[in-house]
Amino acid sequence: MAETATIIKVFTIADFKEEEVWLRERSSEGLHFLRMIVPCFYIFEKGEPRDVIYRLDYTSHAEDRDYQTMLSEFGWENCGRCAGWIYWRRSADELASEAEGELFSDDESRLNLVKNVLLTRMLPLLLIFFCCVLPNLVRAIDGELFGASGFFLWFFGIMFVLYVYLFIHCGGKLLRMKKELEGKE
Amino acid sequence: MDNRIERVYVPMTETGFYILYCLQTPQHGYAISRQVEWMTNGELTIGAGTMYGTLSKMEKDGLIVFEREEEKRRLYRITPLGEEVLDKELRRIERLYRNSRGEKYDG
Repeated sequence: MAETATIIKVFTIADFKEEEVWLRERSSEGLHFLRMIVPCFYIFEKGEPRDVIYRLDYTSHAEDRDYQTMLSEFGWENCGRCAGWIYWRRSADELASEAEGELFSDDESRLNLVKNVLLTRMLPLLLIFFCCVLPNLVRAIDGELFGASGFFLWFFGIMFVLYVYLFIHCGGKLLRMKKELEGKE
Repeated sequence: MDNRIERVYVPMTETGFYILYCLQTPQHGYAISRQVEWMTNGELTIGAGTMYGTLSKMEKDGLIVFEREEEKRRLYRITPLGEEVLDKELRRIERLYRNSRGEKYDG
């Protein structure tokens, strides 16, 4: 069994492009992606440094055999799945052109991915925020929640800040990506 | 051809056009990508994710249909609706081409 290493690194759902670059950098240092454990543990296999391109896909077809077969035939190796994301990689040396190092070759399919993330990840977060976090924070401030327990005030206070950060960072970034891709169409 | 199909597929994206054009002969996704690279002298590469997504969408919209399976790979072919869309697109490209050379297009 090869030696492994774990690195803690946080990427949000809007940082998949950065994550791809980061994984490639690790491979160039001899740390090859093995799997990921939510929320932020990356397990790597130690080996020789190689130039490996990583691409992340977010699709509901992950289980589809035809999806797996097609991507493999194009030269991609499936190297794991985590929280809806599918990790693909291939050696940069075997590419005949830069375009071959991309899963998507037109803006329409890139846009589909961004829309899919917005719809299935950001929308549920918004619902949780407005149906759970916000009402409970208001109740905790009013002291209605189990007396005036400070724990709930802190808990929902922190949740509130976290969600607001997620909306601004991820929501903003994904919407900017969407707008940019729509503009180019 | 209903309005939705016309709105989505006319005019077509380059990717959509080449995939539909290639499926006049039944084949699978990877073979299409190789054919497109050969036809365009490598100027157009269709990514694996884009190929899978476009084939799924065209199949759902009835432009292409699953023909048979060969070594785990799904082969598709164009349908009469797909041919109608392709004909329309070919006429549009012909007009663009003639006009771009300063000629008048007479239909």
